[in-house]
Amino acid sequence: MFTHGEILSVLEMLRSEHLDLRTVTLGLNLLDCASDDLKRFQSKIYDRITSAAENLVAVCDQVGEKYGIPVVNKRISVSPIAVAAAPFGADEMVAIAGTLDTAARAINVDFLGGFSALVEKGMARGDRALIDALPQALASTERVCASVNVATTRAGINMDAVLLMGRQIKAAAELTAEKDGIGCAKLCVFANIPPDIPFMAGAYLGVGESDKVINVGVSGPGVVKKAIDRMLANNPDADLGRITELIKRTAYKVTRAGELIGREVAEILGVPFGVVDLSLAPTPNVGDSVGEIFQSLGLCSIGVPGSTVALAMLNDAVKKGGAFASSNVGGLSGAFIPVSEDLNISQSVENGYLSLEKLEAMTSVCSVGLDMVAVPGEITAETLAAIIADEMAIGVINKKTTAARIIPVPGKKAGERASFGGLLGESVIMQVNNARGDNPFIRRGGQIPSPIHSLTN
Amino acid sequence: MLMKKFIISVLGEDRPGIIAAVTRVLYDQDYNIEEVSQTILQNQFSCFFIIAGPAGISPEQLIKALQDNTSTFNLFFHVHEMGRDAAISRTCGCEPFVVTTRGPDRKGLVSGITSVFAAFNVNVGQLRAVFRGGNEPGNNTMIYEVDIPLSMDQKELRQCLCEKAEELDLEISIQHKNIFEAMNRI
Repeated sequence: MFTHGEILSVLEMLRSEHLDLRTVTLGLNLLDCASDDLKRFQSKIYDRITSAAENLVAVCDQVGEKYGIPVVNKRISVSPIAVAAAPFGADEMVAIAGTLDTAARAINVDFLGGFSALVEKGMARGDRALIDALPQALASTERVCASVNVATTRAGINMDAVLLMGRQIKAAAELTAEKDGIGCAKLCVFANIPPDIPFMAGAYLGVGESDKVINVGVSGPGVVKKAIDRMLANNPDADLGRITELIKRTAYKVTRAGELIGREVAEILGVPFGVVDLSLAPTPNVGDSVGEIFQSLGLCSIGVPGSTVALAMLNDAVKKGGAFASSNVGGLSGAFIPVSEDLNISQSVENGYLSLEKLEAMTSVCSVGLDMVAVPGEITAETLAAIIADEMAIGVINKKTTAARIIPVPGKKAGERASFGGLLGESVIMQVNNARGDNPFIRRGGQIPSPIHSLTN
Repeated sequence: MLMKKFIISVLGEDRPGIIAAVTRVLYDQDYNIEEVSQTILQNQFSCFFIIAGPAGISPEQLIKALQDNTSTFNLFFHVHEMGRDAAISRTCGCEPFVVTTRGPDRKGLVSGITSVFAAFNVNVGQLRAVFRGGNEPGNNTMIYEVDIPLSMDQKELRQCLCEKAEELDLEISIQHKNIFEAMNRI
């Protein structure tokens, strides 16, 4: 028998605090589809995806209805295509991206991730072909997401790959110029990419994973915000120790919901359950924002002094509550601060509270990085690469994941608006300061070695 | 010794000491309490006991003993003798769900929702409803813990409940019990 309060608090989270299961992502290994015949490879991966995921959407909807918690997105992640399709050249890689897009449409998932390469220490033939294919692949598909891991704490930073990615991001933006460079919104550059992220654009199925796996991404920034608001309404003098405890407890509840539903979906589909990624993932809706949590905590906006420590506190409390709630935690697990995807964060940019530099500082304590950041279209590939390299350094040195999902918006300047639609949201274009002049440093290339504290064997 | 089993209901205005007085009588009469459920609605005490004990006493005699020894509380008793196999609880191939509604107060809400349950052979295990009146939805809530037979078409039941709720101007949610367990209990 449950108490009134227990039942009504769950209902309130659903009714007015945007509690949902952000994504159920089915990971599919495609490595045994390998072939040096393009048609044969395309046919095999199409069949693999459409047969394995045939019921994914229906089962997620059915389980979501049973528990009254909607599964907002159903997605697929596949083995890194640079490995699975290693024999092919760039043009063929574009065709493969087309096959993945068609398969994603056939099973009605909104995104498919894994058009990916892992090049932290060097680029094999397949890796290079995939990276060369990126601009065209992202421009010619709608649902395919790409990621390139250019750095790890164990390997260091592949600066050749970083520079190349700067150029490819520019090229992808140009090819999708009519939609504000949306191609780049489907591309993440990573340091220390985890092999089991359920969230896009960084989802792929690591080579150390099973044939199939269900990974789940929970959400719930609105639930955390309302819980803090309620506590402070009852006790305006509550200190940060008590607030972190509350965030932990709230993250626990949200994660438990995700784990319950994820496990049931996995069981019905006959697929092993992988991990819960217990991230606070915002959407461009009022009340579903990580930025609003900063205001509830007492900061006038995300980006003002105090924001980094607030995010560090939030991120840690979310991890602790979630880790207790789930037997398998993975992926990114923390708080996301994607600028255009969070209405409040994009407003903070617009109001001048949040600069690119402060955002970068904040990414040293959160779970992702420079995420969904629109910058002026005139930015050079080298400056883009330099921003990416800075972000990678934060990940490598701090032994954590960092990513850069930066969108140079063709033909637009800082202060103008870029709109990507749907979950990707819209944002004011951020100013990139002090990017004048040549940057020979970034052109030197080579490998920045792994840091001393990676030598742990 | 021959045993009898009774269910007793006790109603009256709430005040300290009622349970102590009632159970003292049952103890004195050599009855063993098997199950109790007690609640307070507004200022009214209500309690049910299932007891087992000596067969030589009738329901009327038991009521009299209770009345005589709790006269200061002004309580109302009802005693009913139960069948021998009463301890065997009803088991069904069922799934436990929690159905919750909120909406403006009006007559016929409980009757409307439960008529759908009845039509689908859905048993209500627990019902808690508070109607403070008025149009503020949060002031008027019903929470049903129900068992839905596995053989029942859940989609159709859901649809009928949603239609009935709409007719009654209620928001309704129908959720498997495990979600509340998962989110609230360690």
